[in-house]
Amino acid sequence: MGNKVTYTSEDHLITRQARVEKAFLEEFAKGNYTIDTPYVVENPYLINPLCALVMFTTPEEVTPTVIVCGKRFARENLSHTFAPAKEHKLPVLGLYEDFANKIVISLSDGTETTLTITTGKLPTDVCRCQNIITSADYLQDNFMFLTPAGKNLPTAYDYKGDIRWLLTVNTMFDIKRAANGNVLTGSSRFCRMPYNATGLVEIDMLGKHYKEYRLPGNYHHDQFEMENGNLLILTQDFTRDTVEDMCVLVDRNSGEILRKWDYKEVLPQDVGGSGSQDAHDWFHNNSVWYDKKTNSISLSGRHQDIIINLDYDTGKLNWMLGDPEDWPQELVDKYFFTPVGDVDNFDWQYEQHACLITPEGDIMCFDNGQYRSKSKKKYIKNSENFSRGVRYRIDTDKMEIEQVWQYGKERGQKFFSPYICNVEYYADGHYMIHSGGIGFKDGFAADSLGPFLDESDPSVELRSITVEEKDGIVLYELETEGNFYRAEKLPIYHDGNNITFGPGQLLGDLDVTPEFDTIPDAEEVAEQPDSWHNFIIEEDEDRLVFHGKFERGTLVMLCLEGPVKSHNYYISTSAVWHLAMCSGAFLEADDRDVKLNVSKKGLSKGKLAVKLIINDKKYDTGVSILI
Amino acid sequence: MIQEINTEQYHALDKTGPMLVEFYSKTCGPCKMLSFVLKDIDKIKSDFKVFIIDFDENKDLKEQLRVKGFPTMLFMKDGKEMNRLTGLKQKPAIIKEIEALG
Repeated sequence: MGNKVTYTSEDHLITRQARVEKAFLEEFAKGNYTIDTPYVVENPYLINPLCALVMFTTPEEVTPTVIVCGKRFARENLSHTFAPAKEHKLPVLGLYEDFANKIVISLSDGTETTLTITTGKLPTDVCRCQNIITSADYLQDNFMFLTPAGKNLPTAYDYKGDIRWLLTVNTMFDIKRAANGNVLTGSSRFCRMPYNATGLVEIDMLGKHYKEYRLPGNYHHDQFEMENGNLLILTQDFTRDTVEDMCVLVDRNSGEILRKWDYKEVLPQDVGGSGSQDAHDWFHNNSVWYDKKTNSISLSGRHQDIIINLDYDTGKLNWMLGDPEDWPQELVDKYFFTPVGDVDNFDWQYEQHACLITPEGDIMCFDNGQYRSKSKKKYIKNSENFSRGVRYRIDTDKMEIEQVWQYGKERGQKFFSPYICNVEYYADGHYMIHSGGIGFKDGFAADSLGPFLDESDPSVELRSITVEEKDGIVLYELETEGNFYRAEKLPIYHDGNNITFGPGQLLGDLDVTPEFDTIPDAEEVAEQPDSWHNFIIEEDEDRLVFHGKFERGTLVMLCLEGPVKSHNYYISTSAVWHLAMCSGAFLEADDRDVKLNVSKKGLSKGKLAVKLIINDKKYDTGVSILI
Repeated sequence: MIQEINTEQYHALDKTGPMLVEFYSKTCGPCKMLSFVLKDIDKIKSDFKVFIIDFDENKDLKEQLRVKGFPTMLFMKDGKEMNRLTGLKQKPAIIKEIEALG
């Protein structure tokens, strides 16, 4: 087969976007572009093929309106009016794929022009809408934005189920619109298995990245924007043996970590375990919510079937919402609730996601219901189980809880998602319930999570169902292929700046990647590893990612050898079974494919030769990295 | 001192004082790496007794000692298990446990 190593170097997306933006703004400045001959840049920020930027100048200050004409009729038109100006740089969003889109630009002085922007086909493996029930009257100018739970892509669907927004990079986990109109979501950059991304990104609907907030403990699952713009972000400390048990407050402008909450300080780790708990991922924090009225944060812990509420200032426990079985009595007496009201129809939540506090002070979450018991003997099979959105009313004086609403139990296994998902509160009685992790095998809810199911098997189906209900009536239901972590209904345009020019910022820090202090004996050979190993070295501005294929049980060490200091990293080739896989974005189809992220922070300056120990031989990849 | 032993030899051992018993498998990458870590430790603490046992070939013994996977390191004193580490560990973590045996 020969010997081969592949090396690639690519700037961070923020840098690449800054470069192309500078180029198209310079081009625009050189020309005399008018409304009749505008400068049109399709997919200006490289990652959204369903958008464009239309630029022109007018002699006088005028107010422009962009209309993206509907595919069928004018009722479907999407329009947005921008601030008055003489120089116009107008985002055109929500284009139809593989279509000659008609765009009308009208000015407040009565001038109007029509452009055609023809888009191409989207990648063949995008997740298509299978079924949608709603109306244009209900959805209005909103799209349903879904974030991926696997290698699928962030996608938004209109009221007909047509894809109107798609990023070609795999941003993931939560997606929320920030107060400034931008969107906060997880970075697509791999850092650690199973699904830890380098940080959180702030982007606009064109896909422009304004900021990446990098974190030493990486980003997972969720974030929450505080009133002052600072961000609560879920993370962890990789220097200890546990994960997904920490939240930090990050300065919005500098990316500096201002504060942290460590749940080990308030919770025992070896009690209340859900069916998916292990010592490493004992809590599995999958959501954070700040409530101003009570000045508290609520945190969902899938692996303890619990939602905890902490005083924001002191960090002390206020209450714990969950099945009290298997918890120490002193905690049950002090922090748990007793069900009241229609207790015959009351259910606790299990392995829940996405808790939130309603304006009335009620607690909502997506109750996945995986196992639906604390006791192994009483675990419910997925095919006999249900998932639902649920709303609980709590009385923190009497420590009582009442279930006041649920949706989904009646749909049984067809709506069952053992992982991921969310609920949204719009108004009292008006909710979204997103069951995005549905997986079927042979027509029954599968025993495995979506990322572990083989989609090429004709008996396997992955589905995502998003429902909106108002006063007990379903007004919206979207069913798509694939699994999607969360859903968020948003108008694609907003009233603020839909685009701001200037380079984005890479904030915060990655950690120093832990090295291994023992070097195995290996014979140094002047050759590259066999091409079967498919050894790939990816370099970007702040890290190196190494990919390779190795048989299980192979001894592998990556050595970055410098003239003064060398850095050595053990690469595990053991099979790892993950009890949680909230995003399969970084999961490889062949479990012999492994990857390792090495942060450039902490690497010695100078030229580092990349060598690879495979069992008893040390290979020279022929690649050097200049730090 | 690192010595490979089997079940019979384990039972016949003079277990007086501190020692480390490591269960490994020939098919396990972390075990291979750990063997080099233990060799490094042996250079520093040459008087400390380290016994390695093949997990796959000593099934009764591993069950008797409640060893569920590999690599597993049992830190023992006078025949009694004082602590255990599972998975690949680096020198400082292992030396800390050795020193805790006194």
